[in-house]
Amino acid sequence: MNFTNRFWHTAECFAFILAMLAIAGSSANADNSQVAQIKTVSGQAEIVRNGARAAAKIGDPLYEKDTIETGADGSIGITFIDNTVMSGGPNSQIVLEDYKFNSSDFKGSMLTDMNRGTVSMISGDIARSTPGAMKVKTPTAILAVRGTSFVIEVKP
Amino acid sequence: MIIRRIAPILILFVLASCSSRQSLFVVLPNADGSSGAVTIETDQKSVLLDHPYAAGEVRKGVAAPVQVDQTQVQQIFGNALAAQPVLPSHFVLYFEKDSDVLTPASKRQYESVFDDIKRRPVYEVEVIGHTDTMGTQPHNQQLSMSRAEMIRDRLVHDGINPKSISVAGRGSLDEAVKTADQVTEPRNRRVEITVR
Repeated sequence: MNFTNRFWHTAECFAFILAMLAIAGSSANADNSQVAQIKTVSGQAEIVRNGARAAAKIGDPLYEKDTIETGADGSIGITFIDNTVMSGGPNSQIVLEDYKFNSSDFKGSMLTDMNRGTVSMISGDIARSTPGAMKVKTPTAILAVRGTSFVIEVKP
Repeated sequence: MIIRRIAPILILFVLASCSSRQSLFVVLPNADGSSGAVTIETDQKSVLLDHPYAAGEVRKGVAAPVQVDQTQVQQIFGNALAAQPVLPSHFVLYFEKDSDVLTPASKRQYESVFDDIKRRPVYEVEVIGHTDTMGTQPHNQQLSMSRAEMIRDRLVHDGINPKSISVAGRGSLDEAVKTADQVTEPRNRRVEITVR
């Protein structure tokens, strides 16, 4: 009797752990889902992901935490899944620091680190559904966006 | 003595670094000439930019408004602006009552959806089906999905890459026009298509 009880307790524990692992796995997946796609590339443009550097190619997906870097002759254009459009000019470094978007209610949050160079952005669903949810951080300021098109230059 | 000699140089250097611009922000007009707004937030001060070509800069960590014209924007940001992707497009196609057959007007409009996709070097297409509130929820869920799948199948048949198309059905959950339950409403029998 005691033995069977213990058996079922262990089984329950296992089931619980499996369920938790499944949940952890699914949320890890959500974090690793594509947030943008590369639409234009010219000259030298690279993506740094988990420390690995690769040439940017048209059609490639981008993920949260990716860093975009362009050389002296480089530029790149990307479109996010909330229809935010972003393009960077030469000698630029841009980090997709935070990006969350729910396509059912169009709500989310977005923080881009603009470390150096030039960038042009046209806000999408995130800024439209929640004014201020889209932010761009430069080394000296934070830009809060209420649905518009804008450009930023950051001197090295 | 040496201090005396280099002091003017030091002062010049410090002045230059004080006065040099660290960053520049400019609001650009939307396609229709309107604009939204951005706020530059620094420890010292916030600056609101709320009309086309409103600009602000940060010097020594302090934000302040600044005058910038179209020519300067083109000089500084020309390369970034030239790299801008084709902007996303949004289409709504309408259906006959309780059916996945497009209305005659939307049959013609399908062609502009197809043309819009084809002009992009790479594309992603989202197709979301909807219904009016007439009928049961399970039926409408099914119908909204059939409408989205019909559009997808047509696009694939016309040569669009199936891997770049996502479909979903929302039943009568997201009405374009709010109605009571069990109401037929042509403007709610639709698919919404985003191309980017």
